[in-house]
Amino acid sequence: MAMRDLITGATSCPDPSASSSSQNPLGSLANALIGSSSKTQERLREIPTSNSTGLASQFYSEPLSQLPGSEFDKPFLEANSQGSEFLNRFRSAGAGGFEETWDEIQRDGSQLRLYDGRGQLPPQLHQPALDGTPQRVLSTFLHSFLDSSRGGIPFHPASLPVLGLSEGDKQCIRDRSSIMARHIFADKSEEFIHAQVNALLSSLDIDSNVRGKGPMPERFRELDDYWNESQGNMIQGAHASDGWISEFSQNRERYDNPDAWANSFEQQHGVNGWVSEFEHSQLSSVDQMRGMNMSNIAAREQTRMLANTLAQNADPKFQNSKFLQFVSKMSRGELIIDDNQVKETALPAPGDWASEYQQQYNHGDAWAGEFLNNKAFSGVRPEQWANEFATERQQNGAVDDQWVDEFSNLRVNDWAEEFGEQVGEGAFGEDSSNNWAQAYDEFLNEQYAAKQRSDSSRGVYVFSDLNPYVGHPNPLKEGQDLFRKGLLSEAVLALEAEVLKSPENAEGWRLLGIAHAENDDDQQAIAAMMRAQEADPTNLEVLLALGVSHTNELEQSAALKYLFGWLRHHPKYGTIAPPEMSDSLYYTDVARLYNEAAVMSPDDADVHIVLGVLYNLSREYDKAIAAFERALKLKPQDYSLWNKLGATQANSVQSADAIMAYQQALDLKPNYVRAWANMGISYANQGMYDESVRYYVRALAMNPKAENAWQYLRISLSCASRNDMLEACDSRNLDLLQKEFPLQ
Amino acid sequence: MPVFKTPFNGYSVKFSPFYENRIAVATAQNFGILGNGRLHVLELSSNPSLPITELIAYDTADGVYDVTWSESHDSVVVAAVADGSVKLYDLALPPTSNPIRSFHEHTREVHSADYNPVRRDSFLSASWDDTVKLWTVDRPTSVRTFKEHAYCVYSAVWNPRHADVFASASGDCTLRIWDVREPGSTMILPAHDHEILSCDWNKYDECIIATASVDKSIKVWDVRSFRVPISVLNGHSYAVRKVKFSPHVRNLMVSCSYDMSVCVWDFMVEDALVSRYDHHTEFAVGVDMSVLVEGLIASTGWDELAYVWQHGTDPRAS
Repeated sequence: MAMRDLITGATSCPDPSASSSSQNPLGSLANALIGSSSKTQERLREIPTSNSTGLASQFYSEPLSQLPGSEFDKPFLEANSQGSEFLNRFRSAGAGGFEETWDEIQRDGSQLRLYDGRGQLPPQLHQPALDGTPQRVLSTFLHSFLDSSRGGIPFHPASLPVLGLSEGDKQCIRDRSSIMARHIFADKSEEFIHAQVNALLSSLDIDSNVRGKGPMPERFRELDDYWNESQGNMIQGAHASDGWISEFSQNRERYDNPDAWANSFEQQHGVNGWVSEFEHSQLSSVDQMRGMNMSNIAAREQTRMLANTLAQNADPKFQNSKFLQFVSKMSRGELIIDDNQVKETALPAPGDWASEYQQQYNHGDAWAGEFLNNKAFSGVRPEQWANEFATERQQNGAVDDQWVDEFSNLRVNDWAEEFGEQVGEGAFGEDSSNNWAQAYDEFLNEQYAAKQRSDSSRGVYVFSDLNPYVGHPNPLKEGQDLFRKGLLSEAVLALEAEVLKSPENAEGWRLLGIAHAENDDDQQAIAAMMRAQEADPTNLEVLLALGVSHTNELEQSAALKYLFGWLRHHPKYGTIAPPEMSDSLYYTDVARLYNEAAVMSPDDADVHIVLGVLYNLSREYDKAIAAFERALKLKPQDYSLWNKLGATQANSVQSADAIMAYQQALDLKPNYVRAWANMGISYANQGMYDESVRYYVRALAMNPKAENAWQYLRISLSCASRNDMLEACDSRNLDLLQKEFPLQ
Repeated sequence: MPVFKTPFNGYSVKFSPFYENRIAVATAQNFGILGNGRLHVLELSSNPSLPITELIAYDTADGVYDVTWSESHDSVVVAAVADGSVKLYDLALPPTSNPIRSFHEHTREVHSADYNPVRRDSFLSASWDDTVKLWTVDRPTSVRTFKEHAYCVYSAVWNPRHADVFASASGDCTLRIWDVREPGSTMILPAHDHEILSCDWNKYDECIIATASVDKSIKVWDVRSFRVPISVLNGHSYAVRKVKFSPHVRNLMVSCSYDMSVCVWDFMVEDALVSRYDHHTEFAVGVDMSVLVEGLIASTGWDELAYVWQHGTDPRAS
């Protein structure tokens, strides 16, 4: 199968009949070129200025032949029946073209001398050596093409032989380039990516309306609608005018000698040529205005955006990227497939420019009308103008900047403005695309605002709606009692009433934070603790709690800040913590300070606790376990410490030990929601999903607001193949869950 | 010279898990947009000054986007082909009997393949048709199809410890964790705001996974606490194409990007970027670390070159 498959290619084509009859275009191109390479070589050698040697080495710094593997860089497609069939086509279509091309080059060469504004010697024409492998041929071809165009030298390459793209091939190009463009132009808008791909496709003559792989469904659904809407209504008029203007100015820059420009213009059209052409073009119909050229111009405008994007990356590697050149060339319309023939179109030479200019007139029916009015106002008749131009030119000789300036200032700007006005009035349906752009901006702003909101909502304490303790004579005392009894959710309400009454009560906020932490709600715990810290910035318990909560949330830098603060404000250890260090905290520095503190007072359980927390941050679980165990020797009744030990053991994959530690914590404090939830995690880690579900449900029954526990429950339910209960989980039906998963 | 020239644009490179001097390179013509593909199997010389030699190469009708070595047979490789097929090649058999299998179920390009390192009898393929498929060598059809992602799946990778667990990275901006014994995904991580192109599990902590995205960042996650990433690695200036954890050093990982560089990171330290290799002159799209030789890295890119070098040395030094 191998050989045949290789040549026929494109088996991903949706229509098998299409692919079987077609050839892999690039492979066949290669075939043809290799098959007739000897002939090509000869022909090239006859061309005196052609550079048929060493082009490859010009593009690849290292000598390819010395690279291992380059010996495989030989034609892998042997000419078989299909190849020779192709060859025939090539000989008739392509090889003959070389002669014509050569003539063309000769002609252009003479023109070049005329138009080369910088007065340099006519540049050497690059003619790629059309030998080597398929890939190399195409690549070298395009590469040298771009190379020459970079220097502002019009380049007329030999036309490539027939490149029949089957429908399957086109689909491949369409789909794959869309997907890849999204990777490469990630920070551009979807609109931009779309434009890039469309430019590429239209220059390859591929219908871009048949959408292959659309944009990402989630993110861009709204945008997609906008886009489709705007596409539906938009006539590409605005693009065309923009394109024209920028093209004009570009050309003006390149051929910055106006003399040359005028010369060429006159030569091509005669002094009055422009006028008659203009008049002729005025007659052209609106149909023409909507014709093919429009999309070409629009595509070229989009290409300029691409070129700008590429130019924005100053990295020379990027500027030299063959791939980016390949893409940009295709989208620049330098590679055009016309009647299934690849045509390399040169950058517009001066003569081309004039005809292009004229072509563009064909579309501007409304625009042309405007121009007519304009003429009427200014009272300059075209013939007069042309005459004036001619005489003035004779008088002024070389200095014709004036004319060009005048031309560009007076006419182009006026037209552009007026055209813009037209567009603004909706004559071209352009307003819908403006709407689109606005809506897109709004969408972005909204997204940004939403992100800001979610960022700022972190650290903002959210109060419960209905609080029976509001108005209670001493809610702090009530809260403390409830907390001691282990009624955490009730204690939270009482403490909320307290801090509503006296927002500066650090103790109220602190206890509220601890109640939340024990209730397995770190977000609220952090918010409450931050308020406590505001009220009393040096409270050690608060700083420690904040450090632990941030560690739980894996926010290392915040955790380090508070743990360092604990040390700073501690009466015993404040001296070893240099205040200037707080500007840039590194984990290793903070850990070192705490180790010093532990040496200073080995019997301070708090220091060992913080060390344990720090080792959790660095994921050195064995050290963390040792630190917590040391602390527990000093404070065996600290249930939260048992919980910390358990969590650390669980993290270091000692889930069985962890369950023992959690059990200790629960023995000391039966309503410790966090320990119940952690117990569930440990069972889940051991693959005992049924057990874990029971513990999660128990924790949630005590505090339904523990978001994490709901998530874990869902995972355990699906792992335990209890998908029947997922619904109950999603609807937070605790009654049902408790009935289904009782804890014995 | 630790470099090999491939005729087509490189797409992926993988070290053999059996021979320390063997690598497979997946390539595609015309940047993978249109044309043929070729799968190379290369031998490194024991003497680093000697060139890389080609053991064998297999041609395909469409680009080869990824390759993975069998974990059970030292001579078997699996190729992910852009025409939607997954092909198995046995280097021990004559070229005429290869490919030994060609599975054609995916309806779009297959972008990655990964062989199960624990069970060693099955492998995954991830495709632009939004699905992941599970295959075994002996079955003519896929064992299962995992269809939840809403956009292209760029990569699906087995957990190194749990035989039934894998993760998938998709253009729908999510990472999903799956257990093949379960009907649906067990976890959905909205890991980035942009497409996710690659993911890999830590080889020492089976709960840690890294994601690489078009947003230029790599994020490291603990699946037990997935609201906040453990670490966010910034440094690439274009989309990150592939990420891979070191088989030897717990916190070390390697990545390659459309910014043409290959980077080595330590995700647990403040200055996470350990080294940056700028040897490629086109998009660097394939990277791997040797399981058998510590610190040995291979990379390939659209500059049609495959490099193999020791971490800390210059890939271009001969």
